[in-house]
Amino acid sequence: MTPLLSVQHLTKFYPGFTLRDVSFHLQPGRIMGLIGKNGAGKSTTLKAMLNMVHRDSGTVQLLGKDFFSHEQECKQEIGVVFGGIDFYPLKKLSTITAVTRRFYPNWDQAKYESYCKLFSLDEKKQLRVLSNGMKVKYLLALALSHHAQLLILDEPTSGLDPVSRDELLQIFTRIVSDHRRSILFSTHITSDLERCADDITYLHNGEVLASAEKMAFLRSFDHLKTAEDTQPLTLEEIMLRTERRHFDETAL
Amino acid sequence: MKLLYKEFALAAHPTLYLFLVLGCLVIVPSYPYTVILFFGCLAPYLTFLFSRETNDTWYTALLPVGKYGSVHAKCLLIVFVQVGQLLFSIPFALLRTALQIPPNPAGIEANVAWYGFGLVLYAVFNLIFFPTYYKTGYRAGKAFVLALIPFVPLMLLVETFGHIPVLSWLDSTVPSDLLLQFPVLLFGILCYIGITLLSCRMACTRFAKVDL
Repeated sequence: MTPLLSVQHLTKFYPGFTLRDVSFHLQPGRIMGLIGKNGAGKSTTLKAMLNMVHRDSGTVQLLGKDFFSHEQECKQEIGVVFGGIDFYPLKKLSTITAVTRRFYPNWDQAKYESYCKLFSLDEKKQLRVLSNGMKVKYLLALALSHHAQLLILDEPTSGLDPVSRDELLQIFTRIVSDHRRSILFSTHITSDLERCADDITYLHNGEVLASAEKMAFLRSFDHLKTAEDTQPLTLEEIMLRTERRHFDETAL
Repeated sequence: MKLLYKEFALAAHPTLYLFLVLGCLVIVPSYPYTVILFFGCLAPYLTFLFSRETNDTWYTALLPVGKYGSVHAKCLLIVFVQVGQLLFSIPFALLRTALQIPPNPAGIEANVAWYGFGLVLYAVFNLIFFPTYYKTGYRAGKAFVLALIPFVPLMLLVETFGHIPVLSWLDSTVPSDLLLQFPVLLFGILCYIGITLLSCRMACTRFAKVDL
């Protein structure tokens, strides 16, 4: 099956940090979690994929098309939510929507209105008065209303209360249940991924440490288990043991 | 056009419209009219500042448009304000003549040459402002100050034309002198089109390398 998204050897050099040779694939109908501690390169990966930062090398293919040479076409197929970034806080949702819809020939107004109803979004409100959870829901409504096949979410659940996070995770699971759309979801809240992710990609110091289906991913870290561990390690334990071990080595 | 609509609906600072209608100041009997052009430079500064604070660049980068699209839209918006301001001022300049208001003692007349000089001044401002701002995508203050460095002396130079006897035809509203001033207007139009296009292109090239 052709992957919905294929990232190959994505590299970006910064003074003091390098995103090196990042590669992974995402199949339709799946949720991929992109994990890593703060500064591991999760957001840089997403921004390099979207041509928001200038990559030094690497390719990104969306539905078999090269993203960088078909950027406008590919962007019709994706919806992006960057947690913590507010656009036009003083504008009403209806104004932002009226502008956004013009850029998408596939815009489905009926669908947008149904999502507004489902997420209890009041279009007359200004963006600044929405809670963080509601902002994410609004951006999801925009993305879903133009039939985006790939949702790229950067820390969408960070700073949300457990109830809002649970609601969003349920929404994510529903979105991919049509086996057509996929979600690439970067977070450091690993418990969210335990619940909804199908695949995991782990970034460590700008490099992919592992990228696989969730169970295979968990098994690939069995070498980190101790005699007391009878169950597979959780994502949090994997991250802690991987990152802490390096920290201890440095400290020594 | 979609991007221009986005600029007006979401990105334009409300004072943009105020600076546009300040073109009417050419009817003031005694006023240094090139100051009106300075107001036309404040419009892009405040708009770019406002865009930065509202994460406009970020929003635009996520739309199905290339990075160049976002630069083109901003340049087009500023051209709309600058040209719009000059066009808006024309009826007031004509009204001033119709009302037989005495010559402007404060500086150059709002005549054909003034419009030509105005376009040259705006072109010079754009040439510095757009590429400097888009080198980083956020330093509006630096771009504004750097653009004012050639703009202000040129502004003062234009205002002094009325006080140099040999150039008095540039400060005249006599029909025969107005005819002589048309090459200045033509020069201004060509300068404005050519230099603004060049500055927009330079801005695009620089912005392509910017990491958001």
